[in-house]
Amino acid sequence: MMRRVFPIPRRLDLIVLGCGISLAVLGILFVSSTTEGGRFSGLATRQTIWVLVGLGAMFAAVLFDYRVLLKFSFVIYCVTLIPLVYLLFFGQRIANVKSWIRVGSFQFQPAELTKVATALLLAYLFESSDETRMKLATVAKVGTIVMIPFLLVFLQPDAGLAATFLPLLGMALFFGGLPARAWIALVLAIALLAGIGWFVLADYQKARIGTFLNPEADVLGSGYQVRQSKIAVGSGGFAGKGFRSGTQSQLRFLPVQHTDFILAVIAEEWGFLGVCLVLALFAGLLLRAMSLARVARDRGGVFLILAICSMLFFSVVVNASMMIGLLPTTGIPLPLVSYGGSSVATSFLGIGLILAVEYRRFANA
Amino acid sequence: MLKVRENRRELSSRIEIARMAVGGSFAVLAIAYWYVQIVQGGHYFDLSENNRIRSVKLTAPRGYVLDRKGSVLVENEPAYSLQLYRRESKSLESSVEFAVRLLGLPEDQVRARVARGRRYPEFVPIPIAENLTLEEVAEVEARAPEHPEFAVSISQRRLYKRGGSAAHVLGYLAEATPDQIRASANEYRMGDWMGQKGIESSYEKLLSGTNGEKRVIVDSHAREIAEESRIESRPGQNLFLTLDRDLQEIAEESFADKVGSAVALDPKTGQILALVSSPSYDPNWFTRRVTSEEWSGLLNDENKPLQNRAIQNMYSPGSVFKIFLAYGALALNEVDPNARVFCPGYATFYGRTFHCHRKGGHGWVDLRNAIKLSCDVYFYNLGRRLGVDRISEIAHAFGFGEPTGLDLAHEKAGLVPSEEWARTKRGARWYPSETISLAIGQGPLLMTPLQVARAVSALIEGGRLPTPHLFLASQDPKTGVRLRYDSPPKKSLAIDPTRLSIVKNGMWAVVNEPGGTAFGSRVPGIEAGGKTGTVQVVGRESVVRAGADRHLLEDHAWFTAFAPIDDPKIVVVVFVEHGGHGSAAAAPIARRLLARYFGIPLPPAPGEPGFQRASSRPATAPPARKAVSP
Repeated sequence: MMRRVFPIPRRLDLIVLGCGISLAVLGILFVSSTTEGGRFSGLATRQTIWVLVGLGAMFAAVLFDYRVLLKFSFVIYCVTLIPLVYLLFFGQRIANVKSWIRVGSFQFQPAELTKVATALLLAYLFESSDETRMKLATVAKVGTIVMIPFLLVFLQPDAGLAATFLPLLGMALFFGGLPARAWIALVLAIALLAGIGWFVLADYQKARIGTFLNPEADVLGSGYQVRQSKIAVGSGGFAGKGFRSGTQSQLRFLPVQHTDFILAVIAEEWGFLGVCLVLALFAGLLLRAMSLARVARDRGGVFLILAICSMLFFSVVVNASMMIGLLPTTGIPLPLVSYGGSSVATSFLGIGLILAVEYRRFANA
Repeated sequence: MLKVRENRRELSSRIEIARMAVGGSFAVLAIAYWYVQIVQGGHYFDLSENNRIRSVKLTAPRGYVLDRKGSVLVENEPAYSLQLYRRESKSLESSVEFAVRLLGLPEDQVRARVARGRRYPEFVPIPIAENLTLEEVAEVEARAPEHPEFAVSISQRRLYKRGGSAAHVLGYLAEATPDQIRASANEYRMGDWMGQKGIESSYEKLLSGTNGEKRVIVDSHAREIAEESRIESRPGQNLFLTLDRDLQEIAEESFADKVGSAVALDPKTGQILALVSSPSYDPNWFTRRVTSEEWSGLLNDENKPLQNRAIQNMYSPGSVFKIFLAYGALALNEVDPNARVFCPGYATFYGRTFHCHRKGGHGWVDLRNAIKLSCDVYFYNLGRRLGVDRISEIAHAFGFGEPTGLDLAHEKAGLVPSEEWARTKRGARWYPSETISLAIGQGPLLMTPLQVARAVSALIEGGRLPTPHLFLASQDPKTGVRLRYDSPPKKSLAIDPTRLSIVKNGMWAVVNEPGGTAFGSRVPGIEAGGKTGTVQVVGRESVVRAGADRHLLEDHAWFTAFAPIDDPKIVVVVFVEHGGHGSAAAAPIARRLLARYFGIPLPPAPGEPGFQRASSRPATAPPARKAVSP
């Protein structure tokens, strides 16, 4: 009886778990590298606390039957939307955006939890609809589920955080089986809208949209962050300048080196090898999780894993591209590694859900 | 069931495609990083080495200090200081050498500064010296090609416009000490200025504002080629003090080279109109380069000019205490104001003879006249009736024995004796004869001049004890928003107005009736009340033995006054160390303050040419009382 309620831990996937924990440890290490002794000292300790909180949430998610979560996913989704609506009206601005809830000296971004809830609801949607070719009604449902939190966060206004909801849309359309013709139509429509927008809007309007999307862009002078971050990454060379010896990072040229730019710090201090280590750990985590998705017991589980993977993948690629100027800076942190409690804790919660699906592959329910 | 399997197969193949896409993306990323880090690595490494970013502090202008009428007491003037960017130095040795030769500073001082600066990031400059001359500035700029690591920054130096005037109120600014930097949790950096005394220290937060910072890129000749970032500074608030500059300067002028202190305040609000401690010092002196000889000279001056005598020196109140005793006895219903006591010039208690300051005695005196004449015998009797603990209770009700709460640091509490104090703190029991001398303000009873001013305010206001303060308002120089001070007076011993008027009338008589101890200090046109006090420094025997400097054996002089009698607007307390009798040394200063406050031109004062003596009292110093010892 006990065995059935708590299946043996043999089924815990050690590759996913190991990659996740390694990345978090790397994060704590480099948060301490850039913040100790300065204005931010003590952040490494905080990050450690959040990692432990995240691990707790992860094991809770493993032990709890994710099928129950799927069943109540609509309720969970709605509940996590409440703080977003609240923030929109009553939120205090921190760093110009109203996306934080403060509890004592800790701050929390409720949108991070909403991401997990949205993933659950999408998985539940695909659990019950299994059409080979996606119907228009399903597309509309998917769109609504993703766009509501997207817009709420976008209006905070935190474009970067809002953008992290978009991979869910792509995931759902791709794996849900949107017909090829629909894909072509979609791409054309987006290109057309963007093109028309570009010609119709006046320059100052574009600039205004730019400032709205990225309010910090001009505070430090255009291109400052990217230039400094590129110098940091490039000067790291093959093996790096050594832990805590990065001139760029230790001199604090980088403005938010322990949060969004932590990969640049790793690149400067541990060089190309360090970057490869980080990329390999993420690749290992994602590829393994996706192969677990293939063999998952039910469609809900498949889509739950895929949804979480899509968000992680998106954040990693966008963040890593930002460091070397392949994409504009948008304020998306490197999951598990960047300093930031809510991001780390919910990333672990996501990993917990991936493990939970695998954990119950052979369980009878 | 079959359909599900069909779907699953298609889903599986999509997942395979996605896995390849994910793997491909990571490979592309790795190649991109390889390109930046390996192919272009050398280029970026050079860039990082030449990343000559300098952090330049944008000093927030410190708020001005103004008097209550808006006349500027403290402002800022530009000053040049020398900064070292150690990252750009070819060799720190030659940099130190250059600074030592240029400025003629001791080498170890420069080295110590460089060493302390290592705690901060390399692009943060190390302050080497302040207040450079224009010649030195020119020299630094001329040598920029060889020594690009040095920069001259224009900072602001505090300027105390009136020199030593109100120095003890204003305090001074000096470089933050290592201890202060640590205590501020790195809010202050080496080379930052910090208020050290007076209101510069009390209102440091308000005055200092918040410094800004800009980061600039410089070329190899230390020329600024681009600004990377900028955080603007927020200027400090302008501070309006309750001081009245005219009154303050008249008081200081009146002190001349006398040693002592004076306080003038508004008895209703506790606003301090003037606060003098003499001798004074020039706070400007701390913002220039101070040598250690100058510093020790100031510290070792036997007149202790750095000490704020109005709040840090404690004295016996002498006869000034009689008014508080009279008030207290009336408020506690312990005395009949009309009952008369016969003063033959002395009285005997507990087998000892206590003299009145008037050898021939005052004859029959009631309470009012006892105040007017400052009759010791009357108060000996009153003191015996009350007992030490009642007297102590009265003194506490007037705020003695505790700091007044003035917005300056290091205020002394004073001392109020009681039987318990004698037993526990002094370790020798209280003798009844001590109570007799306590009644005329002698013995272990100590108070600061400010405490006396506050107590007199409470007395004439019928028991409302104000909190003395210097902060009138502050004003944000940008927004113009003002902050005001608000502190309601505390309740003290309440008294019936008719009884209060007896005490006030006695104090009026002191100044306005022939025979009053300060009759000569009347200001025509002002209905003022007052009380003199004289504190014996040492017994007559030691005078003879000491012989040396007769001045130091002179009595201390107290005088307190308030005006107008019906609705007092100002209370003045003057204390002159070794000034002789209160009426001769202290009262003329108070008189000039009152005259200036009410805008009345003053006839010549005692001692000045043209003064006609109106009093019949002999001008010789009163005979010293017998020292009372247990």
